[in-house]
Amino acid sequence: MIVFDHVTKYYETSDGENLALDDMSLHIKKGEFVFVLGHSGAGKSTFLKMILREEVPTKGNVYVAGLDLVHMKKRDVPYLRRRMGVVFQDFRLIPTMTAYENVAFAMRVTNIPEEEIRVRVPYALSLVGLKEKADRLPEELSGGEQQRVALARAVVHSPKLIIADEPTGNIDPELSKEMMELLQAINNVGPTVVVVTHEHELVQEFDKRVITIEHGKIVSDTGSPEDAGQTGETAIPDGEEALL
Amino acid sequence: MKWSSFKYLVRQGIHSLGTHSMMTFASIGVLTVCLVLTGIAYLFSVNVDSLIDYLGSQNETVVYLNPDLNEEQTAAVDTAIRSISGVSGVEYVSKEDVLSTYKGYMSEQYADLWDAFDNDNPFKANYRVTVKDLDDIQRISDELSAIEGVDSVSAPLAMSNVFVQVQDVVTFAGYGLVAVLAVVAVVVISNTIRITVFARRREINIMKYVGATNGFIRLPFFVEGMAAGLISAFIASVIVLGGYWVLTYYSDLVPGFWRSLLSESVVPVTDVWYKVVPAFAAFSVLMGGVGSLVSIRKHLDV
Repeated sequence: MIVFDHVTKYYETSDGENLALDDMSLHIKKGEFVFVLGHSGAGKSTFLKMILREEVPTKGNVYVAGLDLVHMKKRDVPYLRRRMGVVFQDFRLIPTMTAYENVAFAMRVTNIPEEEIRVRVPYALSLVGLKEKADRLPEELSGGEQQRVALARAVVHSPKLIIADEPTGNIDPELSKEMMELLQAINNVGPTVVVVTHEHELVQEFDKRVITIEHGKIVSDTGSPEDAGQTGETAIPDGEEALL
Repeated sequence: MKWSSFKYLVRQGIHSLGTHSMMTFASIGVLTVCLVLTGIAYLFSVNVDSLIDYLGSQNETVVYLNPDLNEEQTAAVDTAIRSISGVSGVEYVSKEDVLSTYKGYMSEQYADLWDAFDNDNPFKANYRVTVKDLDDIQRISDELSAIEGVDSVSAPLAMSNVFVQVQDVVTFAGYGLVAVLAVVAVVVISNTIRITVFARRREINIMKYVGATNGFIRLPFFVEGMAAGLISAFIASVIVLGGYWVLTYYSDLVPGFWRSLLSESVVPVTDVWYKVVPAFAAFSVLMGGVGSLVSIRKHLDV
């Protein structure tokens, strides 16, 4: 699903070049649940920006769902993003729209017919336990509820890949576990889930693959528990099929 | 883009006017003030122009006829004068008319003298000619002089030159003022729109992350900008033309000399509204719509 092939990223700054990712290679397979763990400044944000095609590598290549992101045309980027669902630490809900409208919005941008929206949005909200609060504005919801609306928005169009950027960063610890369990439940029905976090304790509670980043490099990769014994950097498989 | 999506986006744009009421209020307010100022400058300029036109048209060129002309020859001169292009009015004044006019000016003690003139009238019959455009007065004066049977032509050339120059200055200053105000409006409005878009950069950012195409993001902003522009144009039209109508109405109530001057020269609302309203609408829709698109551009690069 996601392949980083010797990815290096420099940012131009006033003090010269700042190395954000240093020759990073990894392979996240379809259907996996992966934690990407790192302190702030480790390169997590750049890692995410590469997957979302907000940035392109200075060297190397990134493939998502078989698509070559380095050579992708700008006008194709929206279609890449429609294949994913993204959950942000700060929820990123549109404050003037109700919970229902926020979730429906993700479907409207993909030209999904209104009849389908009317069926799938309530379903997505019920998955995260917020069907009753569909007509509330974000400011009328708690932090945990807003994050669940964001999750409903991320899954409503049945994406094959869910990216969660510090999904528990702005919510209470007891709700954090609940959020992770929701993500796990979503992963169980198919989509690949990548959770980027700095919360070591939270990661330890789940028996999942953990990729640890420091100074733009992968310093450890537990590998998928299902593939027992396979650890360290994963080899880049050949061929497009392997990427999917 | 599907028709249903298009309808949704247009609805979103209109809906946004209400949900971002403070920003909408600021944009519409700024745009309206700019339009009103520009409109006032335009109407002021148009009226000064019309006033000078009116004053200029009051100047008469006097064409003195050769005293020996018979009726037939006088009629030929009459036809020749009327056939000159740019002549707006021709009035024949016989030498008897001239005499009686002068008699009216004199006191009784000179009555004998003037009575003597009845038998031997020294005045010349003349034509009083008014011209449409003072710019043409020199040419018309030359053409009048060339007509057979015309003794002399007395044209207010110096006076008309002053009027033409004043009018040129006023027209230039008036349209210059409108242009300057329009430029100020463009700067102020584009800044307001930039602030509006900046306040909603987060919304744009979210749209980008859920996979909205740039066209999809732009359309509601474009619709919102145009709608705000149309509302501003409507309000500004009501203020400017309504205020102007009230002024023209009251100018009829001004007493004496000013009344006749104003009633002849004030441009009626019916002569300007069809220029003001489309100009306001076109300018504000362009500013609102295109301004939104330009301001949004840099936020789309995510």
